[in-house]
Amino acid sequence: MSIPYKILVCIKQVPDANAKIYLEKTKPHYDEKTVYVINRYDEYALEEALQLKDKGLTHYIHTISAGPDRIQKALRRSLEMGADEAYHIVTGDDDCAIPYYVAQCITDFAKNEYDIILTGVMSQDAMNQQTGQLIASMLGYNYATGVTGIQTNDDVITVTRELDAQTSMQYALKIPCVIAVQSSSIIPRYPSLSNVLRAKKQHIGMIKPIMSSQVQYHSFYTIPQKTTECEFIQGRTDQKVVELYKILHRNAVV
Amino acid sequence: MCILIIADIKNNQINPATAELFTAANTIAKDIITTVYLLIPCNDVKITSNYRPDVKTIVIGMSIYNYNAQGLSKAIASIAHDIKAHYIIGLHTPFTIDFLPSISIEYNAHCITQVHTIQHDEHLTFVRGSCSGKLDQYIDIDNKPVVASIAPGSFDEYVADDTDNSINDTINEVTQITIAAAEKQLCTFITKENKDSSLDEADIIIGVGKGIGSKDNLTLIYNFAKIFPHSAVAGSRIVCDYGWLPYSKQVGITGKSIAPRVYIACAISGSSQHIAGIKGAKTIIAINKDNDAPIFNISHYGVVEDIFTFIPQFLEYVKRL
Ligand SMILES: Cc1cc2nc3c(=O)[nH]c(=O)nc-3n(C[C@H](O)[C@H](O)[C@H](O)COP(=O)(O)OP(=O)(O)OC[C@H]3O[C@@H](n4cnc5c(N)ncnc54)[C@H](O)[C@@H]3O)c2cc1C
Repeated sequence: MSIPYKILVCIKQVPDANAKIYLEKTKPHYDEKTVYVINRYDEYALEEALQLKDKGLTHYIHTISAGPDRIQKALRRSLEMGADEAYHIVTGDDDCAIPYYVAQCITDFAKNEYDIILTGVMSQDAMNQQTGQLIASMLGYNYATGVTGIQTNDDVITVTRELDAQTSMQYALKIPCVIAVQSSSIIPRYPSLSNVLRAKKQHIGMIKPIMSSQVQYHSFYTIPQKTTECEFIQGRTDQKVVELYKILHRNAVV
Repeated sequence: MCILIIADIKNNQINPATAELFTAANTIAKDIITTVYLLIPCNDVKITSNYRPDVKTIVIGMSIYNYNAQGLSKAIASIAHDIKAHYIIGLHTPFTIDFLPSISIEYNAHCITQVHTIQHDEHLTFVRGSCSGKLDQYIDIDNKPVVASIAPGSFDEYVADDTDNSINDTINEVTQITIAAAEKQLCTFITKENKDSSLDEADIIIGVGKGIGSKDNLTLIYNFAKIFPHSAVAGSRIVCDYGWLPYSKQVGITGKSIAPRVYIACAISGSSQHIAGIKGAKTIIAINKDNDAPIFNISHYGVVEDIFTFIPQFLEYVKRL
């Protein structure tokens, strides 16, 4: 019997939507003023775990994140939201560019300790959408991605997995499993004051990354080419208003 | 060389966009002699075409109602092994992306997802959107096999050469591969009916993104839409997740695809998932305060402004006309 479940939630810290990005030679570089947040989909993954905790199905939610020192803020936030323990795999900034390496580090940490490993469906910044699948395959676990609903019945977990606006699939996953969570109408909670106070005193476990940081592939970055030549409407706001009206008129919608 | 193309499944049929993968395969192959296989991941869809007369089709002997990502990826890896596939490509859709990356573990291949461009000059390079779409990542391909997902709409659909009469509709060689019962599970499909046809009928659609900030602020967008006779309001996924608009108004890869005469994206960043749904719009106009927002890369007209200053002034102007 697996209840109470041991749950691991994988968290990535990402620049928020307003972050200014620059190219430094061929690598992305974020402005010093950049605000970093928990990847949106990982917040939904954590919320799903916390809802299992609310139902008394777990009292064992660990969070894990790989990256440089700044990611401790995201791990701290996960404790404030209600996770029980947090672990930091200390890697450089760049190492996280390759999902295979991150999945290897997480797999190495998780070993066979957890019943359910939750991830977000993808990271907002890198948009690879593969880390959950890789972790599952490395561990040989059942899994599902794009999950918008989790129902539990002892050691059977039923997931709803979204395919498109109209269609979802539903099936049971045997534990242990990996679930990659898609955003949905649940709202990830704000930390409660008592959790914030508790989290202040909590220790974040430091984990050494695995050695095989073998470069998986070589890559470089550039500014995307535009697929349309966007004509930017120039001038003061009132001039832009007039110009936009003309364009809409030409397109016969006004 | 050998390329394995994985057919995408949509509404219990082969997704027609699968034809785009044949164009992608041609780009990868360039002038190297290449065997192309088409893999159909379940055995209860109608095989409508081999797309090319020389393509061999392999069907996984599993019903879609027994779908299991782990079992499927193992089966595909073993096929890839048998045919010595160098490239395994599928569409980047919620269906295919569920199992595709796992093939790379079973087959010891690179896994490159959300590819939108393939360059083949002296070297082969796969290009994918990264950093929330603000930068492109170029990945150099070495000798290791590659599993890749291609963003739908990135390549034109492959069309067979007219002069080749042998293609017609004949389906050539199809092999079925059985899969162990242990690898199957029971799946149900849930379909929601979407009776809302407002987005199909509108001439102009005003799309609203997270930048609107709250449900109450939507009044601004509704007032904007009211200026146009045949208009409708749609939203990004975030706006629908927050309950500011119903999911029936969501545009994108997991929402609706729209094709109005004009689409105005207001405070929408232009993620690839959103853009997948607006490719049919004839004219795309973006209003965004961030001049680097990726939405401008696919727009015809751009207005770099805060929607809360620009739209009220626009409404004021129209009132005075
Ligand atoms: C598997 C999967 C499927 C998905 N399917 C879809 C889908 O079908 N449809 C979809 O839309 N998304 C989808 N998404 C989500 C997608 O990745 C993005 O998260 C989402 O589209 C972003 O929505 P947004 O542009 O509203 O918000 P954001 O990305 O947060 O962008 C907000 C934008 O508003 C601008 N802004 C803010 N305030 C103002 C202002 N006052 N004035 C002007 N501009 C302002 C900002 O500069 C920014 O560019 C999917 C994601 C995944 C992982």
